[in-house]
Amino acid sequence: MNLQTADSVMADQAVPACDPPTPKVSIENLAFYYGDARALKGISLPLYERKVTAFIGPSGCGKSTLLRVLNRIYEMYPKQRAEGRVIVDGENILDPRQDLNLLRAKIGMVFQKPTPFPMSVYENIAFGIRLYERIGKDEMDHRVEDALRRAALWNEVKDKLNSSGLGLSGGQQQRLCIARTVAVRPEVILFDEPCSALDPISTAKIEELIDELKDDYTIAIVTHNMQQAARTSDFTAFMYLGELIEFGETRQIFTHPGKQQTQDYITGRFG
Amino acid sequence: MPTQHIVQSFDDELRRLATLIVQMGGQAESQLANAVEAMVKRDSDLANQVVQNDAKIDALRNQVDDLAIELLARRQPLANDLRVIVSALRISSEIERIGDYAANVAKRSVALNQSPLVRPVHAIPRMAALVQALIKDTLDAYITGDAAKANAVWTRDEEVDELYTSLFRELLTYMMEDPRSITPCTHLLFIAKNIERIGDHATNIAELIHYTVKGQMPSGERPKGDATAYAVLSAPGGKP
Repeated sequence: MNLQTADSVMADQAVPACDPPTPKVSIENLAFYYGDARALKGISLPLYERKVTAFIGPSGCGKSTLLRVLNRIYEMYPKQRAEGRVIVDGENILDPRQDLNLLRAKIGMVFQKPTPFPMSVYENIAFGIRLYERIGKDEMDHRVEDALRRAALWNEVKDKLNSSGLGLSGGQQQRLCIARTVAVRPEVILFDEPCSALDPISTAKIEELIDELKDDYTIAIVTHNMQQAARTSDFTAFMYLGELIEFGETRQIFTHPGKQQTQDYITGRFG
Repeated sequence: MPTQHIVQSFDDELRRLATLIVQMGGQAESQLANAVEAMVKRDSDLANQVVQNDAKIDALRNQVDDLAIELLARRQPLANDLRVIVSALRISSEIERIGDYAANVAKRSVALNQSPLVRPVHAIPRMAALVQALIKDTLDAYITGDAAKANAVWTRDEEVDELYTSLFRELLTYMMEDPRSITPCTHLLFIAKNIERIGDHATNIAELIHYTVKGQMPSGERPKGDATAYAVLSAPGGKP
């Protein structure tokens, strides 16, 4: 009797390579002070172009502060200052010579609580556009419709464009604010807890919208909802006490984070 | 776990999940031991008891699955919690298969008892003892979250494979020498194969423990010593 054995042959499987994302915004060694209190301690990370970056961390960790630096909204308040560099398209937006109106048109922001102006739906959108551009009625109509469509609100408000924006539901008001942001054709949109005051259906609509908007815009979102960060973002930054603890692909952060502190936070453990 | 959840009931639920897995594993281990004992002692009563007891493992598997699915829905786990729960779902399936194979060994033993005793096959209890040790070490690694111990199981299964290959050759020889032994030897071959498969499932569990602890499956190809798939038999004096 003879026995013969043969070796198995494993074929190499080629893995297709993905293009690495390019940074739209590069935050470099950013520090921020409220008076003498240092709220951000040397943060460095990119916001990749046409990707969603989520910022997570406990209250007071500096994530909302970071967003406020990105369009320099903090300058409206005394004794607040930023150090370091934030490079957008090759220019440091923290440079004192930076035109703030242009910056805020380029980097739009949507806040936690919907903030429609006490005017008609139409005017809520047109108002923002008029701040930056002089355009005719027809073009304005077109821009308002386009913005409302991009914010997935058009079908719900097209018959009541002249009604007050305050009459819309909470979720609709938030989408109106997104439409207002989109109308001035920004390149980056910052969302600061955009769904914390919304019910699950309205939240899902905003999340769907974020998913669509990332085809055209670079997006940053601050959220306290881990599942929302996991659902909506491509990259996630975990911040704690003003420091960036971990930044990486969302898939990695939520399945196998590199740092114990990140794991303790996202799984709801005592740190 | 180095730290506790802020919500303590989640810790309680995860502990319950781990207890169910360990309970399942313990039952599978003793099912295998009893099945092999039934075979060696030609004890059909014990073998039938093993066959009946398999339902208990199946019931535990259902409990694990129900709890794991409930935890996924209610706790929406992330990071290591997610890995622990997903692994529990998969480990319970692996143990359930181990239970099935142990029950198959017992069924074959009953059939084996219908024929006169063939030459004693010492390799089967030896294989079974090795596999039982694999299951035990796997369960220990699961309880302590010990990836190194899980890895050791992963590589040790090669010994089982090698024993199976040599047993395969031995039984083939018996069958060729005496065609009357074909029926009992075929049952013995299947018994050996069932035990060898149990070893494979133990290594699958070891891989899942490694994944749970480290966040990734063990890298590289697992060492394998089962060469029976490539065995070619030729009649004495004939060409290979």
